[in-house]
Amino acid sequence: MAASQKRITKELQECMDLPPAGMTISLASDSDLSKWDVVLAGPPGTPYAGGVYSITVTLPAEYPFKAPQVNFATRIYHPNVTNDSLGNICLGLLKPENWKPASRVRAVLEAVRQLLVEPNPEDPLETRIADEYKNNRPEFDKNVKSYVARYAKASK
Amino acid sequence: MDEDPRDIELSTITAIYPELQLDENDPHRLSIELPVSLSKPLTVLFPAVAGAAPLAPAQTAPVVTAAADVDSQALSNLPALQVNITLPNGYPQDKPPNVSISTSPPWLSNDIIRRLETEVVRLWEEIGRDQVIFTYIDDLQRSSDDVFGLVDSKGTLEVTPDHKIALLDYDINAKRKAFEKETFDCGICLDPKKGSVCHKMLDCGHVFCIQCLQDFYNNAITEGDVAAVTCLTPNCAKEREKNAIEESSLKQRKPRTFINPSELLQIPLEQEMVKRYVMLKHKIKLESDKNTAYCPRSWCQGAARSKRHKKPEGFEVVDSDEEEDEDTGLLAICEDCGFAFCTRCDQGWHGEFNYCIPKDRKDAVTEEEKASLEYLRLHSTPCPTCAAPCQKSHGYPSNPYKHFNTQPSGDQNSCYMRLWELEGGDGDDVGIDYEGGDAMRNANVAAGQYGEHLEIVQPRAAQQGQGEPRNEAPPAPVPHREPEAPQPAQPQQPRPERVAVAREGPLVLRIEGGAPAVRDQREGGAHEAGAANPRAPPIANQRGNGGRRGGHRGNRQARGGAEINQHNNRNRGQGAARANNNDARVRQAQVGRNGPQNPDLNPQQEAWIRQFVQLALNDEEDLVEWDSDDD
Repeated sequence: MAASQKRITKELQECMDLPPAGMTISLASDSDLSKWDVVLAGPPGTPYAGGVYSITVTLPAEYPFKAPQVNFATRIYHPNVTNDSLGNICLGLLKPENWKPASRVRAVLEAVRQLLVEPNPEDPLETRIADEYKNNRPEFDKNVKSYVARYAKASK
Repeated sequence: MDEDPRDIELSTITAIYPELQLDENDPHRLSIELPVSLSKPLTVLFPAVAGAAPLAPAQTAPVVTAAADVDSQALSNLPALQVNITLPNGYPQDKPPNVSISTSPPWLSNDIIRRLETEVVRLWEEIGRDQVIFTYIDDLQRSSDDVFGLVDSKGTLEVTPDHKIALLDYDINAKRKAFEKETFDCGICLDPKKGSVCHKMLDCGHVFCIQCLQDFYNNAITEGDVAAVTCLTPNCAKEREKNAIEESSLKQRKPRTFINPSELLQIPLEQEMVKRYVMLKHKIKLESDKNTAYCPRSWCQGAARSKRHKKPEGFEVVDSDEEEDEDTGLLAICEDCGFAFCTRCDQGWHGEFNYCIPKDRKDAVTEEEKASLEYLRLHSTPCPTCAAPCQKSHGYPSNPYKHFNTQPSGDQNSCYMRLWELEGGDGDDVGIDYEGGDAMRNANVAAGQYGEHLEIVQPRAAQQGQGEPRNEAPPAPVPHREPEAPQPAQPQQPRPERVAVAREGPLVLRIEGGAPAVRDQREGGAHEAGAANPRAPPIANQRGNGGRRGGHRGNRQARGGAEINQHNNRNRGQGAARANNNDARVRQAQVGRNGPQNPDLNPQQEAWIRQFVQLALNDEEDLVEWDSDDD
C-alpha cells in the first residue's frame, strides 16, 4: 500500500495547493491519509449559494483501484443526495463499475460540485425531489433555500 | 597555421554531432547515421511484387505509381542513412569530400543515393570550395523530411515489398526507442516514469507504468472483476466510442474495450493470470447466454459445446459476434467431460425420439402431455433398437411398419420382425412366426423348425386329437414334413387355430424371400382356401343349401386374413346366404380342429388339396373343380 499512500499524499498536496473552486480541503486527522474533510461553498448562481457544505471523502485501502466514498455531512436538499444524515451521493463516476484508477479525488470533488450546479433528476436517489426539480422548480428552489437556512449556514 | 584545416573542421563537426564517428585508422574519415524520422506518419505503399518484376529490386524502390492492390502502412521512421565521408588531401581548397551513402536494407534506389552523394560536390562548389561537411549533413537531414523528394503529391511513398518487413521492424524499433526515452506521468501512481517501465495501451494509446497496470489487472482478475480489465483512463471507452461514431457512421459496432489477452502478456502479466482472464471471459459469455446448457454431472457442470462460444484454447479469446441461431437440438455435449446429455430432461442422451419431461418441471405435467403420454403408453411400443415409440396400424401398402417388416438384407435393418419382441402382445395373433414369439412360450420347439415343414390343418387336427386342450397356450406345432407337398421348399404354415389371419404371415414371408411372383393377398386367399377346403367336400353336404357358386364365393371371401376375421361385417351386400356360408365354414374349421373326429385326410382329400395348392400358386384356383359342392 505504499504506492497508494504515495499517490494519496500527492493528490492531497495538489488539492491543498490548488484547491478546486469553492472548496477547502484538509485531513480529518493528521495521521490518517484516508479521510478527507472538504468544505464546499454552494456554487453562486444556484439555490445552494450561501450554503456551506461539509463533505467527507473516504479512500478505501485499495485506492486508487477502488472508488473513494464521498458523503455530504451537511443535510442538503438535492435529487441525487439521500435526504438523511448519511448524505450518500449518486455519482456515475463513483459507481464501482465505472471507477477508473486514473480518476482522481479532485475530479470527483469537481463532479460533486457540478452536481449542485446541475442536478441529474434522471438518475435520482430522492425521486420526490427529482420530480419536484423537474416539474415545480420554484418549490424546489424554495426547499433548497430553506435547507440551506436550516442546515448549511456557516458557523461563525 | 600549420594545422590541417580538415582537423579543425572535424573537431567542430564532432561537437555538433556527437553521434559522428571517426575512423580509427584514417583520421579524415568519418561516418554518421542519419535517421529518416518524419514529423508525421507517412503512408508507405508496398506494391505487389509482380509489378516490380522487370527491374532490379534496388532500382525499383521508390517509383511513384498508382497500383491497384497495394499494401499500405503508416510509418514514422525509415531506416537511417549510413553516410561515410572521406576528406582527401587537398580538401577543402582543391578537392571535394568523397561521400558514400548506404541504407540497410537498400530501400533507396541507386539513383537517389548517387544524387545525394554528388550533392556534396555541388554544395562544395556553391560555398566556394570551403568546409562543407556541416552544410552537407544539415542539407541531408532537411531533405530527409520529404524522403529526398520521393513523397508524391498524395503524400505517399512507394517502396518495394522486398523490404517491407525490415521497414516495419525498423519503424517499430525506432518508436519503441523513442518511447523508452520519453517520460510519462503514470495516471495511477502519479509518478513520472521512464517509457521503458511504461506500457502504452494498444487500443487507445494511454500510458501507464507497468507496475500499476500489473497491480490493477492482477487484482481485478483475481477478484473476478473482468469487466474492469480495460484502459484505466476515465471515460476512455466512452470517448473512443464517440470518436468511432464520428469517424465512420457506417460502423455500428462498439469499439473493443476489453484488453486482448496477448496485450496482457505483453505488459507483462503472469501466464496463469492471463489464462484465468481468458477463462473468466468465456464463462461470463456463457452465463450471459440464456441458451447455455450445463453438464448435469455434479462434479463437472461444464458448459455444453457451442459454436457461438467456443471454449478458448491457449490465450485466444474467440470473439464471434455472429448472432445466428444455433441448432437447438436436444443433444448437448459437455465441453469439459464430453458427457452427452439431453437439454430437456438433463439425463444422459436417450436418442432423438424418446419422450422426456423437461427438467424444470418434473412434477407438473400439462394436460396435453399427460394425454400424449397416456396415448403413447396405450398405443405404442418402443422400437427395441432405437426406442422410437411405434404404433401399429393397418394399411398396406403405405405400411408404417416397413421398418419391422423388411427382411434384413446385408447389414441393415436389424429390427426385422421385432416390433413386439419385448411386448406381451396386443392380441392373440402376435408373435406367432418368429422365434421370439410363441416359440419362446413353447420352449420345447427347437429353433429353426418352423421353416422346414408345411403344416396345414390336418396334421394339426391330428395333434389336437392327441388331447391338447384348445384354450391353453398355443400348442407347439410338431415338426412335420408333408410328404406330398407340391413344393418341398414351401415355408411353414401357421398353426391352424389362428384361422386365416395366422396363415397369411408366413406366406408373405415366402414371397418376400423370392418365391414366384404371385400377389400375396391372392396367395393368402389361395392358401386360405387350401386350408379350409379340405373339408369342403364333406362340409358341402352339411351345409345343405350351399350351392356350388355360393361355396366358391365363400372361398373368395376368405381371401385375406382381415376379411375372414371380420367375416360378418365384410359380406357387403353379398346376401345372408353367403354370410351363413362363411360362418359355417369357420365353424366347420374349428370343429375340424377341435373335434377328435377327422383324424386324417383320406387320399382323395389330399389329392384335392395338392391340386388346389398347385393351382393357387399359379393363381388359378378358380379352376378348381368344386365337384363336391355339386354333390
